[in-house]
Amino acid sequence: MNTYTFHVSGTHCTSCKILIEDILNEQTIVRSARVNLKTETVEVETDTEENPEELARILTSTIQANGYTLSVEKSAKVLPESDTIWKALPIGLGVLVLFFLLQRSGILNLGLGGQTTPITSFIIGLIASVSSCLAIVGGLVLSLSAKISQDDVSDTKTFTLFHVGRIVSFAVLGGLLGVVGGVVGVNFTLTALLGILASVVMLLLGLNLVGVFAKNKLSLPSNVFDFFRKIEHKTLTPLILGFATFFLPCGFTQSMQVSALSSGSFVSGMLIMLAFALGTLPMLLLLSFGSASFAHSKYAPLFFKSAGVVVIGLGLFALLAGLAGLGVINPLFTI
Amino acid sequence: MNKTALSIITVSLVIGIGIIFLGDSRGGGENALLPPGSNVEIRDGIQYITIDAKGGYFPKVSSARANLPTKIIMKTNGTYDCSAALVIHSMGYQKILSQTGEETIDIGTPQAGTPLRGACSMGMYNFTINFS
Repeated sequence: MNTYTFHVSGTHCTSCKILIEDILNEQTIVRSARVNLKTETVEVETDTEENPEELARILTSTIQANGYTLSVEKSAKVLPESDTIWKALPIGLGVLVLFFLLQRSGILNLGLGGQTTPITSFIIGLIASVSSCLAIVGGLVLSLSAKISQDDVSDTKTFTLFHVGRIVSFAVLGGLLGVVGGVVGVNFTLTALLGILASVVMLLLGLNLVGVFAKNKLSLPSNVFDFFRKIEHKTLTPLILGFATFFLPCGFTQSMQVSALSSGSFVSGMLIMLAFALGTLPMLLLLSFGSASFAHSKYAPLFFKSAGVVVIGLGLFALLAGLAGLGVINPLFTI
Repeated sequence: MNKTALSIITVSLVIGIGIIFLGDSRGGGENALLPPGSNVEIRDGIQYITIDAKGGYFPKVSSARANLPTKIIMKTNGTYDCSAALVIHSMGYQKILSQTGEETIDIGTPQAGTPLRGACSMGMYNFTINFS
């Protein structure tokens, strides 16, 4: 048995350490692998007779998709980080400007009078998915998707589960609202608190994507990343997250919930919320699967940083607005 | 592209966001162009303040008289966005307005110098009524 020490590039967070160890330990030729975050090295015990260079090449092929490489020599800092962030800042800010301009333009306030039918709620879903609700729900989807794609290869399954969970729970909860009738409403304060929680998560993930934590070797407590790892690896968690989006603050969702409440039956309440969720789906699919395809392309570093800038901007917006909505601070702005 | 060009673009985009957020002029909303005070009406000793709720609250700032029994009339017209989810914290008032219609809210007899603030549940739309 031989023990080799390789340099790992790209490992900067606790979750990277766990991920690399997981993948390397799955390889039949590896007996055990231990990552040392401080020295950015991995110690590999192996039975193979390959020379270290060959072994590094074989093992790299297993973790390259996640953005890590092993080398015998300590590789010089690959591509200066600062260049990427200088490009990512204008891209991210440009996206934010377009988004907020769209909100101000008033295009999204088109009137849909009369009865709420599944067709109108589908259209409202389409509008909602590019409205200010995108700041919270879309921002959360974008940040989680980018983070998941950064850490994990099997992102398609996670995304599919999230969207299925979201649509099914909208339909079921809409149906329940229809049955219960005008007795209960979703509590405003609860949704506002959830919104603030979501914006804090977005800010943390955004900073992580931009690489603030990596550059200063400032690592979040590992249990925070354990939580994200659970999101990534468990089947139930993306389903639950999809479910939770029903309660996130979004004016469109809330008025649809009232429509479902007053609809008077399980089927009509369900149809309204189902159609609404389907209307929001195209945009959210684009965000999650779009980030996955970028994440596996050569533009990955630029994409992660730009997404980080966008998510930080949306997170700040949602946080300040949420605090104002709760009455904690006076409103700073009106979009 | 070099860093200087990129940082100039960055700075101008930041300024752009600042203008979007803090800019005062806003198109749309019929009441935006009305002279101040024209959304306030006194009938039978009760002061009515009319506010349009759709894609925000208009007018954003209203001035009304203090020491009069006052009611707010929130007008909605095909409103599905956040402005339908109205919160007035000082009164503990929360309600999702019907998509089209009028909602009358009794705010009692306001005192001078204590403005009334309302916001939508997500907080990005808000309005203020000053009493004097």
